[in-house]
Amino acid sequence: MSIDSVTLEVIRNACIAIAEEMNANLIRTGYSPNIKERRDCSCAMFDADAELISQAENMPVHLGAMPFSVAAAIDRYPPETLEEGDAIILNDPFRGGAHLPDLTLVTPIFVDGDIVAYAANRAHHADIGGARAGSVAADSTEIYQEGLRIPPVKLFAGGEVNEPVMEMILSNVRTPDERRGDLRAQEAANQTGKRRFTELVEKYGVETLTEALAEIKDYSERRMRSEIESLPDGTYSFEDVLDDDGAGNENLPVVVELEVDGDSVHVDFEGTAPQTDGPINAVFAVTASATYYAVRCVTDPDIPPNHGCYRPIDIHAPEGTIVNPTLPAAVVGGNLETSQRVTDVVLGAFGNEVPERVVAAGQGTMNNITFGGTDPRDDSPYAFYETQGGGFGGRAGKDGMDGVHVHMSNTMNTPIEVLETAYPLRVTRYELRQDSGGAGEFRGGLGLRRDIQVRDHHATFSLLAERHRSTPYGLAGGDSGGNGAAYLIDGDEEKLPEKSTHVLEPGEIVSVRTPGAGGYGDPDERDPEAIARDLRLGKVSSEFARDHYDYED
Amino acid sequence: MSEERRVGVDIGGTFTDIVTIHDGTVNVSKTPSTPSNPDEGVINGLTKVSERDDFDPSEIGFLAHGTTVATNAVLEGEWADTALVTTEGFRDVLEIGRQARPDIYDFQVEKPTPVVERDRRYEVHERLDERGNVLTELDEDGVRDLAADLVEADVDSVAISLLYAFEDDSHEQRVRDILADEGLDATYSLSSGVLPEIREYERTLTTALNGSLKPVMDRYIGNLESKVEAEGVGAELKIMQSNGGIITADIARERPVNTLLSGPAGGVQGATYVSGLSGESNLITMDMGGTSCDVSLVEEGTPLVSTDTEVGDYPVSVPTIDIHTVGAGGGSIAWIDAGGALRVGPKSAGADPGPICYGRGGERPTITDANLLLGRIDPGAFLSGELDVELEDVRRTVEEEIADPLDMSVTEAAQGILDVANANMARALRVVSVERGYDPREFGLVAFGGAGPLHACKLAEELDIPKVIVPRTAGVLSALGLLISDILYDYSTSRVRPWADVSPADLHSQFDEFAAEGHERLDSEDLDADAMQFERTVDLRYAGQAFELSVSVPEGDLDAAAMETIAERFHERHRQRYGHAYPEEPIELVTIRLRARGVVETPDLRPAETGGSVEAAVSDTREVVYDGEPTETPIYDRDALPIGSSFEGPAVVSGVESTVVIHPGQRVSVDDFGSLHVEVNQ
Repeated sequence: MSIDSVTLEVIRNACIAIAEEMNANLIRTGYSPNIKERRDCSCAMFDADAELISQAENMPVHLGAMPFSVAAAIDRYPPETLEEGDAIILNDPFRGGAHLPDLTLVTPIFVDGDIVAYAANRAHHADIGGARAGSVAADSTEIYQEGLRIPPVKLFAGGEVNEPVMEMILSNVRTPDERRGDLRAQEAANQTGKRRFTELVEKYGVETLTEALAEIKDYSERRMRSEIESLPDGTYSFEDVLDDDGAGNENLPVVVELEVDGDSVHVDFEGTAPQTDGPINAVFAVTASATYYAVRCVTDPDIPPNHGCYRPIDIHAPEGTIVNPTLPAAVVGGNLETSQRVTDVVLGAFGNEVPERVVAAGQGTMNNITFGGTDPRDDSPYAFYETQGGGFGGRAGKDGMDGVHVHMSNTMNTPIEVLETAYPLRVTRYELRQDSGGAGEFRGGLGLRRDIQVRDHHATFSLLAERHRSTPYGLAGGDSGGNGAAYLIDGDEEKLPEKSTHVLEPGEIVSVRTPGAGGYGDPDERDPEAIARDLRLGKVSSEFARDHYDYED
Repeated sequence: MSEERRVGVDIGGTFTDIVTIHDGTVNVSKTPSTPSNPDEGVINGLTKVSERDDFDPSEIGFLAHGTTVATNAVLEGEWADTALVTTEGFRDVLEIGRQARPDIYDFQVEKPTPVVERDRRYEVHERLDERGNVLTELDEDGVRDLAADLVEADVDSVAISLLYAFEDDSHEQRVRDILADEGLDATYSLSSGVLPEIREYERTLTTALNGSLKPVMDRYIGNLESKVEAEGVGAELKIMQSNGGIITADIARERPVNTLLSGPAGGVQGATYVSGLSGESNLITMDMGGTSCDVSLVEEGTPLVSTDTEVGDYPVSVPTIDIHTVGAGGGSIAWIDAGGALRVGPKSAGADPGPICYGRGGERPTITDANLLLGRIDPGAFLSGELDVELEDVRRTVEEEIADPLDMSVTEAAQGILDVANANMARALRVVSVERGYDPREFGLVAFGGAGPLHACKLAEELDIPKVIVPRTAGVLSALGLLISDILYDYSTSRVRPWADVSPADLHSQFDEFAAEGHERLDSEDLDADAMQFERTVDLRYAGQAFELSVSVPEGDLDAAAMETIAERFHERHRQRYGHAYPEEPIELVTIRLRARGVVETPDLRPAETGGSVEAAVSDTREVVYDGEPTETPIYDRDALPIGSSFEGPAVVSGVESTVVIHPGQRVSVDDFGSLHVEVNQ
């Protein structure tokens, strides 16, 4: 190693700062609440070999999948065909994307005529066309129904917007003004990355920088390998299910076998359900992203996340399954729901061997809801998308967190006051769900209840959720978490299928109840004071306490 | 008013600093802080200066105080038992927060503890819509029943945060009135008063924090006031707020959440003032102490203000000087991580045991130890025959813990520790400058705090900052800041409307309403009308965005042309901050703000002429290492440097409060106020 460890640390910090600044700009100039309020977006820097060097940590599902986007962009436009001022957009899940609403923009960074790095960001747009407003339909059976499919294509060329491509995109979406604003914010974020990285090159020179970036990746790889080496060698396996695919196919197995061999891990999804008609197929990039995330969490969260972290992990996902589907599979929920189950099984497999390094299953879903229609206040079309947090798994030594996004998601909620100002909807209830957390020495986190009412118009509503029938598993003797549910409230309550689309009448309320998480450790071992505290705070009812704990009132 | 004696008292972690101004003369004093009973430190300090300067405490005409009481209460979670009242269906908003977890890869991470626990959160039946229209009338009988529950629960403080209370506060007021009428003996915080702005979680959290801090602040100020009074001080006690303005102690009791960054804000104010005396008004301030480094940016003499500052785990949305903190202080510990990389901080040895060289039992190498090994600090300052520590101990520890594992010499290791620490601080300096759209090349770096001047000249070089300023009073700038800061009261209300639909007359009358309140307030503090200023701003964004930019509103009556000017200012701000603007896009109004300012007379800080010469100020020479190069360096005695003199680096300027390291090729001059100005090579 010829570059000293101090310069290395300085350059590594600078690369993280670049991704973070890109991210701050994207959020602050984005237009759709999904980006600006919920932060459903991610930014990262890649080196000239298109390998990840730094990221701003928003959305885990984006982060491990973005390298596939950069690779696909370069595959279509090899470096010699790119020019200063170009930027490539894509969302095609079968060519570097994850699902259609996620638009990824890749910008090459030139110094003296050569590409030295790429700035990239991904944002979940609130609509990208297709059969249902919001483009998170639960009833698609082919990707062609899910929205506009964009292969890698130059959205910017020589510094100018490629208007025909922009028009093509805007003509296919329900809320074009919002899309244009978000795309501009994405472009501005990459420009920030470009400016800052160029400054770094000016300071250190291409040669030193290239060497430093290589070493930064090697460093993460070394730490990752030494962590993996500390796990017992052997084969770990686990199996869980997805409730259904929305098209009538139920209890779809997701199966994993991990082989820990010295300082590397081989992950095999053989035995997982064949790809299905419903929109829950996760393309390989998504499966890989979920796997990388899980392995990273059981090692050391302090390891700088970059390409080096991925090197010790080798993944086999059989083609034609829900973890590696082929065209024309519908995939929107693969990114949102199947990704969570992939995480659950990989962590579950580790949990059998080293439970103290993992957590009981979290809520295992993102509870996606979409409303669309025409806002009666100004007769403009709208598409509103959000996801909901739920229980985070009980852990060795601690209860799980209540009402948070778990694993592959980490978005924020839409503030009620912002939601109602922007859309013709009203939130009528938003609270923690008593008794939804799995019992254990350390209780699983509670799920949420969020009720949303349609105001003065007819709205289409899509629900795409999981764990309404299966439950998030407990760990080390803990009980499983409570199911999720959804109801249509119109005088009385009608239970809604977890993947379904409806037209709502004015005044009708959709009540989304999100799953709790699994508990950790034997419930009989729970500290009586913790039980008393849960009772006092109303997180557990006395009936539940009697049934699940060594408790009598 | 020049005969009035003005006193500022700032409580820091180690020392309580007192600055007095009388007849244009500034005097500085330090006494040890008394963390368990902070008011004692204040009284000790007052006694010390009154005895030293031979005056009677009754002669004090102005007494201002920077306090960490609220901050410490938040950091330690030791606040009053508070009840929270919310709109029916929403008592858990405070606990759910924004649903994101604080770290995505760390399974052991925790959400912040709710400020008010679930069994102390109550709901009332009522609801407004997004324009403040009543959808559901307030159930007053329900509120009366609630009063009985709250009496039973025996709470000291009640926070009330109802949806859209910033649009219409009548339900919140009514709830408070009924609870009070029903005999609930408590103090009240209304979200419409504390933070009348959109986004229910942030507003509710800020209101709940205010509620839980009120009894704490009330007790502290009550004690302090009676002790100060017992000393014979007649002046009303004033408190520094997080926004850099002074308020009365009574207002601080009502709004303790506005004082969370009271101390650091005083420092930024002091640094801004002293630098401004010599004509420097665009500044990056850097206050580096034992455990952390606070940085902020000052534009045209005004510190930038933010409304999303974090204190502990909590985002606090009241206007606060935009201070960014990194865990890099003199006591920050250097270590090698599992992958063999050199890291510095965030763990700190603090003041106790402190760095190894303090000789108080510290055993881990720190930034201060590295500075010592490189000759930047006088070894005699710490190491004495009486203590069982020798330079050799420091050297050996750095060798064992850092140099050997990295296969470096001890000097290289010490240099490495400083380089890594500087990289962390450089990142913080970038956050407040380039990330906010400001080019550091257009700013001066003001360094203060015990460790700031040791690092500033190197940092400036790395960030292409052309000049470093080290004020003469670098060790007591927070206390000095208390004496030169204006009295400030902020008024605001959210009104989310298309800018095109906002009538100039309505906007004007809202400003007038705020100005009348502000006038009354300042009047009650005996300010002359000509010392009052009213600054009007609006927070705007492109319709559809979520984050606003504050834009100043032209003076005088508002008409269509003024509205157009405001819009143009917004586009310009957006371009500056984000690199792009869309003049054709519609704009949206979000928040209307007025700041009432009572202008304070400021002192002349010119020190007495010392005479002498630069040559005579050299007290010693020592080998100091710069970028790995050992160089024989003159050591200057700061107090002996004549006004107006100048000299070249390498140099170390040694003073009572801090040590300044000037690198080879940098040029230093001493201005009329005794501040050092270091020109940094580009």
